[in-house]
Amino acid sequence: MNPRREALTFVAFAAPNLLLFAVFNWWPIVYNACVSLTDWRLPADHGAYVGSANYRALMSDAQFWQVVANTFLYAGAVVIIAQSLAFVLALLLNRDMPGSRIFGAIAFTPYITTTAAAAIVWVLLLDPKIGPLAALYSALNVEGPYWLRDNRLALWAIIIVGAWKEIGIATLFFLAGMRNLPRDCYDAASLEGAGPWARLTRLTVPLMGPVILFIAVSGFVAAVKVFDAVAIMSEGGPSYPASSTFVYHLYATAFRDYRFGEGAALSMIFLLFMTAFAYGQFRLGRRWVHYGD
Amino acid sequence: MDGARVTKYSRNSACWIILLAASLVIGLPFYWAAITSLKSSAESAAWPPAWWPHHVEWGNIARTWNTAPFGQFFINSLVTSFSATALQVGCALTMAYAFAFLHFPGKRILFWMVLVTMMVPEEAKLVPNFVTLSKLDWIDTWWALIIPPAAHAFPVFVLHEHFKTLPRDVLDSAQIEGAGHLRVLTAIVLPMSAPIVAAVALVAFAGRWNDYLWPLIATNSERMRTLPVGLAYLQAGQEGGLQWNFLMMGAIFVIMPLFVLYFTLQRFFQQGLIRGAVKA
Repeated sequence: MNPRREALTFVAFAAPNLLLFAVFNWWPIVYNACVSLTDWRLPADHGAYVGSANYRALMSDAQFWQVVANTFLYAGAVVIIAQSLAFVLALLLNRDMPGSRIFGAIAFTPYITTTAAAAIVWVLLLDPKIGPLAALYSALNVEGPYWLRDNRLALWAIIIVGAWKEIGIATLFFLAGMRNLPRDCYDAASLEGAGPWARLTRLTVPLMGPVILFIAVSGFVAAVKVFDAVAIMSEGGPSYPASSTFVYHLYATAFRDYRFGEGAALSMIFLLFMTAFAYGQFRLGRRWVHYGD
Repeated sequence: MDGARVTKYSRNSACWIILLAASLVIGLPFYWAAITSLKSSAESAAWPPAWWPHHVEWGNIARTWNTAPFGQFFINSLVTSFSATALQVGCALTMAYAFAFLHFPGKRILFWMVLVTMMVPEEAKLVPNFVTLSKLDWIDTWWALIIPPAAHAFPVFVLHEHFKTLPRDVLDSAQIEGAGHLRVLTAIVLPMSAPIVAAVALVAFAGRWNDYLWPLIATNSERMRTLPVGLAYLQAGQEGGLQWNFLMMGAIFVIMPLFVLYFTLQRFFQQGLIRGAVKA
């Protein structure tokens, strides 16, 4: 096929997606940058240029920094809790015992469960009066806390939901990584008399290093975007922004208070950080690709 | 020898018990939702909480279905998730083919630009996309739930990686016989890639079904809501007296279809997620 026809075919094949991306992915970045420099609030048609006022206002906004801190705390806690448990689960599942398929499937179901629905279920589970935890409290003879009405605990309730959802996918990835480990190292180690603990700490953990890092960064990047559970369980409360996270704050600013200019500024900040993180994740992922060969 | 075998047996048993305990704890929310959904309204708010309903209220299924237009929510979710997935995967197929098999000056730059879109979070595009849809008058229509969510690039990369592994000679000989690229794609490449396409489509479908933030923003009338949004409004609307049994039944309505899909097509799901992660 002559080059000109081939180039035209290329354009024809790529055009649908390019059009979609141009309108809904590339243009939004430019538009966001512009709107973030205005003071646009509904019901106005557009805003007036105010330079970096929105950004400066955010930098000195205590609520904003509280939200940022909450988001980092949430993402860090979810990754550490869920992925530690997931690593152990993967080790156990890797033994290929009878029933492993079923256990693995059960561990994974939270991941595909609609977060909005799961959050409602967890509100019931954490209720100190009528959920299963309530039974536990009464058995231990303690007064259970009302998680979502306590400013210090509300975010932790959301963390629990996030960790519960994350365990399955992390287990899947860890298991995939473990299955790719070179068998000969283990055989040699066994011959030299290394016990299971030594094989774990001297072989498995170091060999899984790049995978662990990649999965941790991926989990962190995904966790930072938390919204559904916050919106359903606490709406950032009980006294805002005790349990608010970045995306929820963005949503509240832009779609509840209708402050589009500030919402756009928040979006740009989020975009900058997330793109940096995602780029790091991408570079780590490339090492996984080669590692798996 | 015997001592070693006994130790191995007890170690395996211990591991198995830990796995069982972990499954029970992780599965507890599903169990609790299921039993609560089948309790009477009085029992679902009772103290102490029962671990099995005294009387299984199968009628709750119909009652919950009627407290909110779940039928409408279901249709909205099904139609928009399916259409968005079809659109996304269809566009990705042609684009991945182009990147893998066709020459074009500046292809690398284009590829990089598409890659970058994957790193920009969807949450950062909410305001602009909302404004775009307002101008198009698409807010509160199915278009809003189908078109913008289809602009995700992850299937492009998974398919592109896969296409690069296909044997070129099969494609080349088809071209020599006079087949155009479209025929090569549909008659040769697609059948050879069916499992991967299925995996990618499943993951995309799950993402659309579970979407909460975008449908919340893009719709505002009850008759346009998807299942997750409808359920959330049901919960918010019950502020005073939460009827947990109906809420739990509603939650089950929302998650059940994906559960069925997952348990029947488990391997495809996992394939799609693992390949997606490498390129995500």
